Amino acid sequence: MGALSISGIVIRFLLGGGAVVASTIISRKLGSKMGGIFAAFPAVFLAALLTLRLDVKGSELVEKSIVLSQGAVVGMLINILCAIAVVYFCTKQGWKRGLTQSVAGWFLVSIIYAVISGYF
Amino acid sequence: MDGRDLLFRFLFGGSAVVLSDVTAKLLPWKVIGGIFAAFPAVMVVAVMMVGMKKGSKEAAKTAQGSVYGMIGCLICVLTVLFSLQFTQNWWGSFIFGLVTWFASSLFLVHIREHKKEKRVPSVK
Repeated sequence: MGALSISGIVIRFLLGGGAVVASTIISRKLGSKMGGIFAAFPAVFLAALLTLRLDVKGSELVEKSIVLSQGAVVGMLINILCAIAVVYFCTKQGWKRGLTQSVAGWFLVSIIYAVISGYF
Repeated sequence: MDGRDLLFRFLFGGSAVVLSDVTAKLLPWKVIGGIFAAFPAVMVVAVMMVGMKKGSKEAAKTAQGSVYGMIGCLICVLTVLFSLQFTQNWWGSFIFGLVTWFASSLFLVHIREHKKEKRVPSVK
């Protein structure tokens, strides 16, 4: 794996944040139906793919993008569960506790999956 | 447009991408970077903002809507993954992923609205 660099981190931060803000602004400009679609734009995933291009080239880029996408497939599945959990917990315990618990659950499940997948 | 809302989104989105990169490089489990790349930053901030302004009930509704969005994102990621594996073409897969994300999201929104229309008469 490559080394960490400050400039790489700054570019990633700007691109990731910019992608999320851009999708938010587009979603608000377009009205409720099309806006809802853009509100769920996979901004973080696509920004992560794009920033991967900064570090690696050629066949290694494809290889690493595949690994990133494999992880993201699992991540998206956990996200769907997390969103369902948010719906459930927000109505039961209020949005603050509900959201915190759901994100904590997301984090825990992700880490456990990553550790387990490392062994197999 | 609420500036604080956009700032939160910017911080969360940026942090998620940085975290996915840093964890992928520092931790031994390769798959973790990808998982962090799928961090539901947009959903978390959206629920937070709606919760602050309108309370828990509306926040739960926002999360409910995002379940459909996540399914669209999953289809996008799966497309990119399979396209990369079969074609080895990076830009092609990236654009193909975007197209399928848009098409599947449109389809899901269509289904959702169709369902809502069906539900309305039964409420009356």
